[in-house]
Amino acid sequence: MVDDASVIRASLALLMTDLEVVLAAATVEELVRAGPAVDLVLLDLHLVNQEQQPDVRQGIAAIRALTARGYRICVYSQEERRFVLAACIAAGASGIVSKAVPTDRAQQLFLEVAAGGTAVSQSVVGILEVLVRRDCITVLSERQRQILHGRARGLTYAQVARQLFVSESTLRGYWQDLTKSLSESLRDLTAAEIERALGLAPGDLLEFWSGDDTDAADWWRVHRP
Amino acid sequence: MVGRNARWRVADLPTTKVGVERVFTYFIAGVRLGTIAQMVPAVRVGAAAAPHHVAYLACWLAAASASIAVSVVTLARRRPVGAAAATADFALACLLLVFAPYVVLPGARFGTWVAFEPGYALSVIITASGVRSLVLWAGGLVGVVVCYAVYLGNVATGMVTTAMGNELTFVVYAVVARMLFNYIRRIAHDADASRALAAELARREEERRARVLMHNGVAIMQLLAHPGLGGSQSGLVDQAEVELQRMRAYLRGATSPEAASREGPDEGGGQLRLAELVARVCDRFADLRIDPLLDLGKAVRVPVEEATAVERALESLLLNVRAYAKAENVVVHLDQDGGGVWALTVSDDGVGFDPASVALGVGLRDVVVGELGQRGLGVVITSAPGEGTTVTISRRIPPPGRRDGLGLVADAR
Repeated sequence: MVDDASVIRASLALLMTDLEVVLAAATVEELVRAGPAVDLVLLDLHLVNQEQQPDVRQGIAAIRALTARGYRICVYSQEERRFVLAACIAAGASGIVSKAVPTDRAQQLFLEVAAGGTAVSQSVVGILEVLVRRDCITVLSERQRQILHGRARGLTYAQVARQLFVSESTLRGYWQDLTKSLSESLRDLTAAEIERALGLAPGDLLEFWSGDDTDAADWWRVHRP
Repeated sequence: MVGRNARWRVADLPTTKVGVERVFTYFIAGVRLGTIAQMVPAVRVGAAAAPHHVAYLACWLAAASASIAVSVVTLARRRPVGAAAATADFALACLLLVFAPYVVLPGARFGTWVAFEPGYALSVIITASGVRSLVLWAGGLVGVVVCYAVYLGNVATGMVTTAMGNELTFVVYAVVARMLFNYIRRIAHDADASRALAAELARREEERRARVLMHNGVAIMQLLAHPGLGGSQSGLVDQAEVELQRMRAYLRGATSPEAASREGPDEGGGQLRLAELVARVCDRFADLRIDPLLDLGKAVRVPVEEATAVERALESLLLNVRAYAKAENVVVHLDQDGGGVWALTVSDDGVGFDPASVALGVGLRDVVVGELGQRGLGVVITSAPGEGTTVTISRRIPPPGRRDGLGLVADAR
């Protein structure tokens, strides 16, 4: 995992006993240097701190740096802004889990993402639904649209499964496939296309959809000094 | 007296049971006094030609006095005379008819007001048909018909058809008059019952309004009184301020306080942007983890009163989530399809409940289902223990067979 907070790095293995923590790094650079073979990298989005690591990669740049080296990424952050989270998916992250989620639930989601699944936050599901409805993403079958329709409204797997007359486990499988497909489709979209679909002004997403994958610019800060 | 006199005109009388009885008194006095007016011109001639002058005048005065007495008493008591007086009225008419052959010459008994008795009897039949007892009315009518036959005696020989016509006049007028009395009384009765029903419905509606208005405020006060709220205290205080404004507006008698004071999403023309309103309500529940997904409903504009009802319902739903659901996440989703039909969905992943076995509280029953149902909005509540709760508010018409009288669909699984 990569997190600038030492208390998080130290406690993760203790709190989530089903996970095997191979390396707990403070920076992406440290992880890249060590180059461990892992199933999943848990990545905090905010890694810059003025005292110890003022000039390190973070956010989208960190995701791109790691996915470029073949790592599977699950963002584990306090970040709530939906465009930031969507940008993480677009940059290649396979999952997004909020630090506000109870640890049991978080651990379960990490395991699902490590096993090849995806974990997409509700706000990002909302964006994906808009993109599908606005025909920015057109690869969906009717059933997939129905699943997305239910999940975007916060319905549980059980509720959606009943609506579609399938078992809950089958529905979970469908959802994994669907979110993976949607995430890949999101990566193919440009910021301008998403801005149009969401009714945003041109350039509104520029600070989120940074094209620079090497710079450690603090793209994520809305309120720049 | 001025106030009392101001209500004497028929046009000013109330259309109540009391009012129609008063109108009946005008009718009765008019007919009876009118009959006297018809009797007056012939009295002198009648008395002069009568075999017994004094007896004729006595009969005439008895009839006139009875008519005046009935008119005065009726007007004074503001309703027709009772059964005893009606009996006496019929009896006097019968007596006068029976006694007439002794005071009126045979040649004057058809078609003259010298023989005032048949005309007088007709006025009694018309005015006394309002008596409530069917037996008394029928008895009086039969009595008059029989006494008229006695009155005619041999005079009717050769004029049978005229005599039969006169007898039928008594019967027909009696039936018609009774029908009118009874029908008008029934109208008045129905009018009074309808007013009482309307008043009761208004009272219930006011009670419902008060329940709807107070419900969210009470829930907030309950939460504020709960110890250990921590960070959510300030959000609750903000909400308490909103509810306070609503309650004040209610006490002032304002019908739509939010409409007057709302800022922001007002589109003009009495329309509001629903997405902005929903977002604002969600902001007031910062302690809940709410994902407001409103992009698909950004274009939804609704009338102010409808928006107010939706706002109140959404608040009530989120207060329910806060108080009971133990939810980790809440999704508030607004959508609008190509046909302009919008749907607001509120889902939580909390403990849920079984709608089949749990009676809905005031919040769901009145504030959400009742209030929105009145505005033609459909409300679908889906919940089950352990599976959270989903409430959908929309203009969509629920599928046939899945809607009860309240517009509520509750799936229990």
